[in-house]
Amino acid sequence: MENSATSNEYVRGTLKTIVLNLLAEHDRMYGYEITQEVKDRTGGAIALTFGALYPVLHKLEQEGLLVTESVEVDGRLRKYYSLTQPGNEAARNKTNDLERFLDAVRLLLAPRGLATE
Amino acid sequence: MKRLQENRIEQLAKYLQGSKLDPELYSEILDHLACEAEERLWDGSSFEQAYEKILDSADLQTLHHLSVDHKTLLAMEKSLDDIVFENRNKQYGAYTLRKSYGQTMQKSVLLGVTLFLLMVLLPNLYATLVPDKKPGDIGFEVEFENVDIRPDKAPLPEPIKEEEAKPVEKTVKSVSLTVVPDNQVDVEYNPPVVEELEAAQPGGITQDGLVDVNIITAPAPAVTAPNGVAAEVAPEKEKEYLLVDQRPEFMGGNAAMGSFLQKHLRYPSQAVQAGVEGRVFLEFTVGNDGKIENVKTIKGIGFGCDEEAERVVKLMPDWKPGKQAGTPVRVRFTLPIVFKMN
Repeated sequence: MENSATSNEYVRGTLKTIVLNLLAEHDRMYGYEITQEVKDRTGGAIALTFGALYPVLHKLEQEGLLVTESVEVDGRLRKYYSLTQPGNEAARNKTNDLERFLDAVRLLLAPRGLATE
Repeated sequence: MKRLQENRIEQLAKYLQGSKLDPELYSEILDHLACEAEERLWDGSSFEQAYEKILDSADLQTLHHLSVDHKTLLAMEKSLDDIVFENRNKQYGAYTLRKSYGQTMQKSVLLGVTLFLLMVLLPNLYATLVPDKKPGDIGFEVEFENVDIRPDKAPLPEPIKEEEAKPVEKTVKSVSLTVVPDNQVDVEYNPPVVEELEAAQPGGITQDGLVDVNIITAPAPAVTAPNGVAAEVAPEKEKEYLLVDQRPEFMGGNAAMGSFLQKHLRYPSQAVQAGVEGRVFLEFTVGNDGKIENVKTIKGIGFGCDEEAERVVKLMPDWKPGKQAGTPVRVRFTLPIVFKMN
C-alpha cells in the first residue's frame, strides 16, 4: 500500500503523457481498459485509480486532444476515447518531453562519478 | 467472460447515485466498476465478494474526492460564462448568446469595417475599373468629303423688324373753343380753316411735318346700283349703353305697355297647375331705331313663364329709342314681368 501511494505521486505528473501515449498506440480505449493496460504492462507496478484517471481524461477532452463516443454495452454506456489530430501531436511531444525528463532524472539519481562522464 | 446481470448493475448504479457523484462522471464510473466486478467474477469470486471489494476501493470518500478533483481540474478552463451559468438552465438561450458574443462581435466589426471601406473606396474603385481616356488610346475618326448640304426648302421667316418711328405728320393747332369775355379773346389765334386741314391733322400746336401725299384711305364703298336697288350697307354694330340721358320707352308709355302685356300674356297652364308666381327678369336691347333685339331671361321662375314672357316681348312694336346727347343709341334694357294669380 505504501508502495502504491508513492508511485501515485509520480504517476500524477506523468498521467497525461501515459494516457496520450496509450491512446496513440490504440485506435480507441475506454477508461477501465486503460487501467487494465497500464496494470498489465507494468506488472502491477503502476495502478491507475479511476479517481485519478477520469478527471484527466475529461480534461484532455476539454482541451480538444481527445474525442469521445458513447456505445451501449451490456445495458450500460461505455465511453470510448480516441486521439484527435492535435492529440496525436501532443502525444508525441509529451512522450519526448517525458523521455528527456526521465533521462535527466536518471542522471541525477545516478552516482556522481557516472554522471560527469 | 461472465456478464453482470442487470439487477447487479442496478445495485451498483444505486450505490453511485447515493454517493452524490458528479453526473458527468456517473455513467463512466458505473461502467468502470461493472468492468471491475466482471473481472473479479471471472477470477472466480462471487458477486457479493466482488461488490464488497468494489465498495472498498470506491468508498464514498474516494468518490467525493473524484468529484472535487474533476471539478477543479476542469474549472481551470472554465470561462466566466460557465461560472455564471453554473447550476442554471443553459437552454434558455442567454448562455449561448453570451458564449457566441465574441464571435458575433468579431463578425459584425469585420462586416462594418468592410462596408465602410467599400463606401469610402467606391469612387477610387470606379476610377480604376473605368479608366479615363489617355492620348494614346485608339479611337476612330470619320472624315466627310464632298458633303452635299442642302438648305431647307422653306427658309426661315425673316425676323420681324422693329417698326420705324412714324414720321411726324403735319398738324395745325386746333384746340377746343372756350367761351371767354371779349377782352380776353386771343386775337392771334384763329381756328383752322378747311383749306389748312385738307393736308394736315388737327393738333395741339402748329408744326411743319411731313406732308404725306401717299396716304391711301380706304375707298368709300362703291355705290353701284345696277338694278336700281340701293346697296345695303351693313350698319356698324354700335356701342350698347346701359345708362343714357333719355331711357327708351314703350310707345305710349308704361300704361300702354301694361295693357299690351295684359292683352298678350297668357298664364302658362304648367305654372297654373304648380301655382307658380313671381317675376321674370328679361333683358333686351332697344336699338337706335327702336327695334327690340337679343331678348334674354336673366332670372326666371320656370314652368313656361320665362318662355311666355320672352315671346310677348318679342311681339312688342318698336319702342321709342333711348337718347344720348340728343342722338338715338342702342340701350340694354331690363324689364321685370310679374306673373301673379288672382
